[in-house]
Amino acid sequence: MKTLSIATNEIKQSLSNKRTLVFLLAFPICLMLILGLALSNAFNSSIKIEDFRVLYLVKGNTEVEQAFQSFIKEVKKNGVQFTRTNDEIDAKKAVKENKYVGLVEVTDQGIQLYENNANAIKGSLLKGMLKTFADKVNLATTVAKTDPGKVQDVLADSGQNNYVQETSINSYKEPHAMDYYAVAMTNLAAFFGMMSAVYLIRGERQRKTDIRLSAAPISKMEILSGKVLGGILTNVLCMLIIVLVSKWVFKASWGDHLAVVFLVLLSEVILAVSLGVGISYMIKTDNTVNAITMVFVQVAAFFGGSYFPIDDVDSFGGIFTRLSPLYWANNAINKVIYLNDMTPAVHTMMWNLGIAVLFLLISVISMRRREGL
Amino acid sequence: MKVLEMQNVTKKFGDFVAVDNVTLSVDEGEIFGFLGPNGAGKSTSINMIAGLLRLNEGKIKILGKDISKSNQFAKKNIGIVPQDIAIYEELTAFENVKFFAGLYGLRGEALNERVEEALEFVGLSDKAKSHPKDFSGGMKRRLNIACAIAHRPKLIILDEPTVGIDPQSRNYILQSVRKLNEMGCTIIYTSHYMEEVEEVCTRIAIIDHGKIIAEGTKAQLKSIITNTKDVWVGVTSCREVDPDELKDIAGVQEVQINWEDNVIKINSAIDVNNLNKIIRYFINHNIEIRSLEEKAPNLETVFLTLTGRNLRDK
Ligand SMILES: Nc1ncnc2c1ncn2[C@@H]1O[C@H](COP(=O)(O)OP(=O)(O)OP(=O)(O)O)[C@@H](O)[C@H]1O
Ligand SMILES: [Mg+2]
Repeated sequence: MKTLSIATNEIKQSLSNKRTLVFLLAFPICLMLILGLALSNAFNSSIKIEDFRVLYLVKGNTEVEQAFQSFIKEVKKNGVQFTRTNDEIDAKKAVKENKYVGLVEVTDQGIQLYENNANAIKGSLLKGMLKTFADKVNLATTVAKTDPGKVQDVLADSGQNNYVQETSINSYKEPHAMDYYAVAMTNLAAFFGMMSAVYLIRGERQRKTDIRLSAAPISKMEILSGKVLGGILTNVLCMLIIVLVSKWVFKASWGDHLAVVFLVLLSEVILAVSLGVGISYMIKTDNTVNAITMVFVQVAAFFGGSYFPIDDVDSFGGIFTRLSPLYWANNAINKVIYLNDMTPAVHTMMWNLGIAVLFLLISVISMRRREGL
Repeated sequence: MKVLEMQNVTKKFGDFVAVDNVTLSVDEGEIFGFLGPNGAGKSTSINMIAGLLRLNEGKIKILGKDISKSNQFAKKNIGIVPQDIAIYEELTAFENVKFFAGLYGLRGEALNERVEEALEFVGLSDKAKSHPKDFSGGMKRRLNIACAIAHRPKLIILDEPTVGIDPQSRNYILQSVRKLNEMGCTIIYTSHYMEEVEEVCTRIAIIDHGKIIAEGTKAQLKSIITNTKDVWVGVTSCREVDPDELKDIAGVQEVQINWEDNVIKINSAIDVNNLNKIIRYFINHNIEIRSLEEKAPNLETVFLTLTGRNLRDK
C-alpha cells in the first residue's frame, strides 16, 4: 500500500515536471515527425527487392525440384533472383561474403537454407517465402545460419514450424519512413527512461526528502520498489502516448500483433529504469552519472538504428549494434510487424528482463549496505 | 516518561567524529533546546534519530524502545522537520503533506482531514492548492513543518526551523512550537539562535564539536558560568565618578569606566539587591543618570564562557 503511494507520488511528480515531459514525450514525437517526413523519399527505395539474389543447389534427382522451379518463377515476379550453383563450398563463401542473401539446398529430405546473419531483413523474408513454399508442398524445412566458421541448424532442433505465418509470397511488406521512426522513436523514448530513473533515488537525496522517507515507518525496500514501479509506470504511460500519437496522428503502422509489441516495449522500459537505478547506485558523483547515462543512451541510439535504419549489422556498427538494447528492440518489433516473426521479440524480452533483474539486484544490495537511501 | 534517550551515541564520518559520546534524555512535555554553532553535530544527531544515519556506538530509545529494534513503533511516534526544506516542488502544498502523512498509514477521509488540519495549523490553508515554488521562504518553512506533524507524532524534532526567514514568520513558527507543546507534543528544537532557544525552551543542551558541554534549565546554565550580574549606568560625564567609592557598596566587586561612551559598568554579586544604593550614589554626587541597564548573562555569554567562541560567526 505504501509502495503504491510512493509509486503514485512518483508518477504525479514526473508528469508535472516539464523536463520529463520534454524528454519522454515532446522530443521523441518531434524527432519522429521530422525524420519521418524528411526521409520519406529516401526510405521507399532503401530496401530494393531487385537486389534480392539467392543461390540454390539441387542434390540428387528429386521431385521437389519441379515444385521448386515453379516457386522460383513465381517469386521472380517479385524481383527475387534465384541462381543455380553446383559448388556448395563456393556458394557458402559467396553467402558469407554477403553477395547473396542465402543458399537454398533442395534435397529429397526437403529444403535447407544457409543464410548470412548480417542481412537480417532479407534473410527473414527469404525464410518466410521458403516456409510458405514448403507448407504448400508439404515439405520439411531446415534453416541453418552460417556464422563465420560454424554452421548451425536452427529450425531443425527447435522443432518449431509455425513461426512464419505469411500466407502469400506477395504479402511482403516494408516500412515507410514514418513507420520506421514511429518504432525507433518509441523505443528511444522508452530507453530515455534510464535518464530519469537515475534520479529516482538520487533525486530524493538531492531534495533532502530522503530524511523524511527514512524517518517514516516504511522499509527501504518499500521505498525502492515504489520508486521503481513509479518510474516504470510513468515511462509506460509516455510510451503509450507516443504509440497512440504515431498511430492516430502520423498514421504509422504497428502491425497486427500489438500485444507482442507492447510486451517488448514494456520489457525495454523495465530494462531502462533498472539500468538507471543500478547505475545511480554504482557511481558516486552526479556529473559522472549524467555523463555516463547520456553517452550510453546516445551510443545505443546511434548504433541501434534510432536515427537511421541498419541494413547490414556487420558493415555498420558491428559489436556496438549487437550490444545496443535499442537495436534489439527495433529489430524485434520490426520483425513482429513486417514478418510476423516472434523469435527476436522473445529473445529481446528475455535479455531485457534478465539484465533488469541483475541491475535491480545490484541496487538492492547497494541500498542495504548504504546508510540512508 | 522519557520520550527520547540517547546513550553514549557516537557518529564518525571516516576519522572525523561528528557526534562524540552524547548522552541525553528528553522528558514528555518538554521543549528541549539543542543549541550549538555550525558543524556542532546537531543535524547529525537528528539524522541518527530519524534512522537516516547509523550509529557507530551507543543506543537511541524512543518512548523506551530501542530504535534499532522496534523501528516501526519509534518511527510512527516521531515527526521530523529537516533543516533543509524537504518538499516536492512539483506537488501542491496539500499533495506534499498528504504524501508524507500517507506514509504513516493514514487513508481516505481521515488522511484529508489531517492534512487540512496540519495546513491550517501552519497558516497555509489558503495556499493548499499552490505549488511551493511560488512560496516565500517563510511559507516553505511552514510547509516543511506541516509535512512533519500531520500524522500527530508524540515527539516533534525541528532542525533550525527558522533559518533565513523574516521576523514575522519566525514569530509565527515560535508560537506554533509553543502551541504544539500545549497540545501535548514533546519538542526538540535545534538552533544556533540563542534568543530563540532562550525564548521557547524549557531545558537546553549545548553541543559543540560533537560533545554536550552543558545541559539544564536556562537558570541552571547561567548559574554554571556566573554568579554575578552587570549594571551599566550611562551618565553625562564620568569625571566625578570614583570607582573605589562605588566598590564600597555591598556586593559590588568590580567597576569599569568607559570614558568614550560615558558608561560605568558595575559588576556585583547576583544575589545582592544593591540597585537602590548604586542609584543613590549617583544622586548624592549630583551625577546625572542618562540610562540604567541591568545585564543578566544570556546563553550567548554562557556559550562564550564555555568555549571561548561566539555561537555564530560575527
Ligand atoms: N555525510 C557527511 N560526511 C562527512 N562529514 C559530515 C557529513 N555530515 C556532516 N558532516 C560533518 O559533521 C559535522 C557536524 O555536522 P552537522 O550537520 O551535524 O552540524 P550542525 O550542528 O547541524 O550544523 P549547522 O548548524 O550548520 O546545521 C560537520 O563538521 C560536518 O561537516
Ligand atoms: Mg544542522
